[in-house]
Amino acid sequence: MSTFLAFVEAVHAIAHTRGSKAKTQIAADYFRTIVDADELETVVTWMSDGAFSQLSGRSATVGAATIAQAACRFLDIDYEAVFRPSKTATGSSSETISRLMEYLPSGCSSRQPRNLSVHEVMSLFEDIASARGRAEKEAYLWAAWKAMTGLEIRYFLRVLAQGSLRIGFDAKNVVSAVAEVFAIEPDTLRSAWMLTGSAGHVARLCLEGQLDTAQFELFRPLAFMLASPIEQKKVDDWSAYVVEDKYDGMRCQLHGSGAEVRLFSRDLNSISESFPDLIADMQGRDLPSVVLDGEICVVTEGIIRPFQWLQKRMGAKKPAKKLLEEYPVQFIAYDILYHQEELLIDQALHKRRAVLEALSQSFTIPLAEQYPLSGEADIDRYFDLAIGRGNEGLMLKRLDSVYEFGQRRRSWLKVKRPGGSLDTVILYATAGSGRRGGTLSDFTLAVRVADDDRFEQEWVPIGKAYGGYTNDELRQLNDALRPLIVERFGPTVAVQPKIMVEIEFDAIQENKRTKAGYTLRFPRFKAIRWDKPITEANTLKDVEKMHSEG
Amino acid sequence: MHLPALDIAFDVNAAVASHCFVTHAHADHVPRDRRMKVYATPNTAALMRIRGFVGDIQELPFFEVLELPNARVSFYPAGHILGSAMVYVESDEGTLLYTGDCRRPAAPTSEGFVSPDKVDVLITEATFGLPIYRWASHEELFDQIRRFAMDALNAKETPVFYAYNLGKAQEILHALAPTGIRAQIHGGGYPLCQVYTDAGIDLGRYEKYNKNTLAGAALIAPLSAEDQPMVTKIPKARHAYVSGWASNESRRQQLNVDALIPLSDHIDFYKLIDWVTHLRPKRTYITHSPTPEVVCHFLHKAGLDAVPMSQEFG
Repeated sequence: MSTFLAFVEAVHAIAHTRGSKAKTQIAADYFRTIVDADELETVVTWMSDGAFSQLSGRSATVGAATIAQAACRFLDIDYEAVFRPSKTATGSSSETISRLMEYLPSGCSSRQPRNLSVHEVMSLFEDIASARGRAEKEAYLWAAWKAMTGLEIRYFLRVLAQGSLRIGFDAKNVVSAVAEVFAIEPDTLRSAWMLTGSAGHVARLCLEGQLDTAQFELFRPLAFMLASPIEQKKVDDWSAYVVEDKYDGMRCQLHGSGAEVRLFSRDLNSISESFPDLIADMQGRDLPSVVLDGEICVVTEGIIRPFQWLQKRMGAKKPAKKLLEEYPVQFIAYDILYHQEELLIDQALHKRRAVLEALSQSFTIPLAEQYPLSGEADIDRYFDLAIGRGNEGLMLKRLDSVYEFGQRRRSWLKVKRPGGSLDTVILYATAGSGRRGGTLSDFTLAVRVADDDRFEQEWVPIGKAYGGYTNDELRQLNDALRPLIVERFGPTVAVQPKIMVEIEFDAIQENKRTKAGYTLRFPRFKAIRWDKPITEANTLKDVEKMHSEG
Repeated sequence: MHLPALDIAFDVNAAVASHCFVTHAHADHVPRDRRMKVYATPNTAALMRIRGFVGDIQELPFFEVLELPNARVSFYPAGHILGSAMVYVESDEGTLLYTGDCRRPAAPTSEGFVSPDKVDVLITEATFGLPIYRWASHEELFDQIRRFAMDALNAKETPVFYAYNLGKAQEILHALAPTGIRAQIHGGGYPLCQVYTDAGIDLGRYEKYNKNTLAGAALIAPLSAEDQPMVTKIPKARHAYVSGWASNESRRQQLNVDALIPLSDHIDFYKLIDWVTHLRPKRTYITHSPTPEVVCHFLHKAGLDAVPMSQEFG
């Protein structure tokens, strides 16, 4: 029987080793020690996905605040006086908790590490996930901590958080390590991973000698292909691409075969229940066995309606008849991944398109129009046309590209209208040097997380703006900020969050290194909102939504 | 730190009092005015002179009492680096101990750590004044240093230790001494080694950095050399960051090093609390800490009076 400590020691060794080859070796050596298929699936999933596989759609749903408060009570320390400054110093809640557990007398005396097995820890994750409310979750956290070493606690919390283990070893590396253990071509295993959507499951199949069953199955979702923002990639040959409108809808994978039709969202969850009208419509067409990639949009009077209309439908698990009538949806197809017992993902886009067009004709499935591209200059024209049709922008797709799961390469590029705007609050201001010497001219702006379970503070920085204001505005701003200063760090001052600024930006980008998890491209002032109370500032959830809808 | 009533001062930049004491030879404790008159221990005096201090240094050996008009002053070993001292002051107002930088248990390359039995007022550093800081033993950390160097050399790579030129560098040399590993040290640290060997501390086979003979040796250099040719031009190197701050995992990404070795020349949180609760001063002032309130919080829980050092003290 394999222990959690063995997992933790392997993970910790990976963290302390440089170079992906050496890290892969450690992971492979560890996986080799595991002979039980359940255990192997579990530990591979922990390393690649977290406590639960992404495919399962499950998570422990326990917030950072709950964990921190539970730890403070466990350790009998004051959150504000002890935990918060310690966490600020390490920058990591899990590291802070694990060190305090090891070092504080209260942490040592309340724990009796008893070398839990992988199975036992997995059941703790299950318990925490199914527990209701903070108190119950806290009880399970305590039960886990009582039986663990500090280092076990550190990685227990990171696996639980379903985020990165912060060991410089991602899911792709984990799959490479599994490939090494079973002496299988990494590419073979990688495609099995993509088809099944679970590194843990693939590892199990390898151990059981069943890898050949890691095949595509209808009604099991495939990982989606993703697009890169066009600004991030250099394009040499525009004529290698075709253009489609980018719909302001919900990405969807449709699996169908005759009377059986199912829909999956981008996170591989089933969304069939939310769209019974679409299911019924597709069932009526008696499709051959197919997997289509496309977009769900609200369409009335032949017009694609804005995303806000679709949102009315997205929330409803069992939509009422009235809702279905007011907001009817359509599936607009733009790719085909599987057709009549044949997986098409390794075929070039233009070949897949030919199959899709034929299918669309026979079964009257709405199709995204495709246009050839001759040069960069065409983009502006197509972009304006797409916006004119109420769509979000453009998708550029390479004609010779295969369907690459989860990749953000050059095969698909998205062109969107400049980002948007947010109401933010000034947290820090920095005095510039040179012409603006002494004047506070760079501003760190924050969005609200006061009602966000994941955070203990009220605001998180989202970007830094140093332009877009007039000289008059800058003077007014300086006058207003001076009395709000609470702390100084060299040329930078921290201010009370009192002043709201509406900012414009080009795009929202994911950035794991920031507290918010996102950064803005080119944020700049649009207006200082003296008129608005700061409680009306945008929240991080707004930012996340804008990003996911983008 | 200035005590106007007694006309004495510690680790100040200019002659603000008639009698100024330097606790140790790190740059942030030595006066910027390189010509003023100060008191220091003989080893601190020697290190200061090598580092370019040209003022009048009155050497005051440990435990020797200096009789001043308003006070009696003596040095106690601080355990931080060679020569490092705490200043003990007896006056009509009672007794006071100023720690400067200190380490308990003492760095093996220092003269030890000796505390007076009783003080009324303690002014202590708390650089690592958070309960996330607890140091492993010197044996354990020295072992890490030796193993890192041997592993790298066995793999035909150059072990590079990032460490301060004064104090930490000599501690690493001392750790490596029993292994017989040859070590080269940055030009800023090399001349200081003589003071250590004169004090009878074994620094092993050390020599001044020379790129032509570096192969097969370990290199000790300050972190500022990270992007300098002496480090970047080494064909194959492994890097270790040796500092109390290395206890924070985040330093790994920030510095891009192979190993973090949390060997500190400062007292850790637990030894500090333990020492102060046994010493039981009437009042403790916390200084040199980004989070003095945390130390005060724990001392309050132990029933002691403690406050962050403020500007108006004295």
